[in-house]
Amino acid sequence: MKRLEDVAVHDAQDLYYPTMCTVSQAKQVTALEKFYEIKMPDGQDLGHEPGQFVEVSVFGVGEAPISIASSPGKKGSFDLCIRQVGMLTNVLKNFEVGDAIGIRGPFGKGYPVEKFLGKDILIIAGGIGLVPLRSLINYVLDNRSLFGRLIILYGAKNPKELLFEDEIADWKARDDVEFHITVDNGDETWTGNTGVITTLIPGLKLDLDNTIAAITGPPVMYKFVIMSLSSKKLPDDQIYVSLERRMKCGVGKCGHCQINGVYCCQEGPVFNYTDIKPMEEAL
Amino acid sequence: MECFSLQRTQVPALIDHLRGYGEVIAPHRKGDVSYTFKSVQDSEDVVLDYNRTLLPLKKMFLPPVEKLMDFSLKKGGFTANKVKIEPRVFFAVHSYEMQSILRLDHNMLDGNAESNYFNRRKMSRFVGISFEPDEFHFSESVGIAVEEMEGFDLFLNKVYDDYQLYVLTDEGQELLKGFGGLAKAKPEIVEGRTFKKRIRYHYNRLPRVFQYGYQSKVWQDVADRCVSCGSCTLTCPTCFCFDVNDHVTVTAEDGMRQRTWDSCMLTTFAEVAGGENFREKTVNRTRHRLYRKFKYITDEEGLPWCVGCGRCTAFCPAGISMVDTINDMIQEDEKAQYHKSAKV
Repeated sequence: MKRLEDVAVHDAQDLYYPTMCTVSQAKQVTALEKFYEIKMPDGQDLGHEPGQFVEVSVFGVGEAPISIASSPGKKGSFDLCIRQVGMLTNVLKNFEVGDAIGIRGPFGKGYPVEKFLGKDILIIAGGIGLVPLRSLINYVLDNRSLFGRLIILYGAKNPKELLFEDEIADWKARDDVEFHITVDNGDETWTGNTGVITTLIPGLKLDLDNTIAAITGPPVMYKFVIMSLSSKKLPDDQIYVSLERRMKCGVGKCGHCQINGVYCCQEGPVFNYTDIKPMEEAL
Repeated sequence: MECFSLQRTQVPALIDHLRGYGEVIAPHRKGDVSYTFKSVQDSEDVVLDYNRTLLPLKKMFLPPVEKLMDFSLKKGGFTANKVKIEPRVFFAVHSYEMQSILRLDHNMLDGNAESNYFNRRKMSRFVGISFEPDEFHFSESVGIAVEEMEGFDLFLNKVYDDYQLYVLTDEGQELLKGFGGLAKAKPEIVEGRTFKKRIRYHYNRLPRVFQYGYQSKVWQDVADRCVSCGSCTLTCPTCFCFDVNDHVTVTAEDGMRQRTWDSCMLTTFAEVAGGENFREKTVNRTRHRLYRKFKYITDEEGLPWCVGCGRCTAFCPAGISMVDTINDMIQEDEKAQYHKSAKV
């Protein structure tokens, strides 16, 4: 146990005060999701890893943990894409260019990209799970020669809920990205795949020794996706998931994000599947 | 370690002397049956023989409500509410309470060290006192004796009607400077302080019981009686979970952000926006609380995170007993072991 005398005064931190930043782009992208670009004061970089999150702070409303949507390669600003689903996010929908916004972070563990070098990267995104994964996708694209294949599977409920459509068009067009998309329910304009995201997995040809899978989506999705990957014999330790919890403080104190014995905001939100497999509360 | 004899009648004078260092916080009566830690105004009001205070001493380091900042909605921006480092003496503190503070130190200062907690803790001094275990105390079962002196600067051990005063640290020595009339004494061992409530196993065997007890029937038994009121976590000296909320003035021009104690026993504790609740059922929550006390942190730190004060049991409106729950787990585990060995 750490004793008080082992903690020097300069080690004590002000953990709960946000940095005041500015919204530099704001665009409603679907009925429920809005995209924001945020500039830090004095053009600082956020200094994050792909997969980390920030606490977005709005005085009078509170704070909420939000995934960072941009690659660390983007300098001078970072991106968020936020679904209007709770108290804070419903206020955020009114935020426009020039508005001040509080940011704490970046927090948590992102993807251990140094372990991914030279590997094929398989991205499996369900719904707004694409938002945190976009930080990894763009990181791989920023450093394209350092990685093997980039395979992206993206599933949404319906065509109206698709995010980052310009970028999707780019991913489709590139010959160094293998992009597959499906929607649960198509509409009259939809000509692509329909069905849940797991329907995209059986047809994949994977180099099993050399593939890393990164999965993010609604809680119900993980078990089924992991089952599909396991039936293709992809080893558990090559699977990464990013989990949602109520990460209220972001610094391992408030307790809300505990998953059995770990704090999601400290050990996660990105976990290697082998680390959470024995944890009953994880998936 | 020095030991002096201290007459019961000298105690108020000792408290007054300690007030020379800073604010003295000690147990006082609250109503007919309850006790509370509060700032000493008159040293004669301090209670030396008490079973437990309603709220634990954590309230002095992590207040139930704490302002983190004032903010202005009109002008934007905020002013941090930073706690000053001030000298305080906590007087007549029981051993399990001191042990809870040492555990909170770990939670609040290890990893990300929190400045407000640190500043409240930095110049705090602790004077311990022995107690007679009642029907709820079980600290011996988690490795904490009545006379456990770790963490204290001074300790008062009651011998018949008077006390033996132990000086345990340099800071304790400093506190006593200028307090006359103390005669050196030979430390005496006080017999007969027996704990009526006991966990059947030594605490070093509990991690194994918990390792196999995740699916135990005990959790549902407890959940069937639990009303999810959160009294157990509110009065627990090692529970530290909190929520953060903003409050805006009626003119909507400014407001403040504050943190308040929260409880993993409350229904919405693990709920996220959109309605997903990661510990929706009472059984998930009753289990989680005890695993936090006996397994998760214990695996890392080697100590039970429960200090055996008995508050969760004494103040539970449904009469749920921590010790009985664990003893039920032990019994179930023994039965399972028996059946296993019978098969072999």
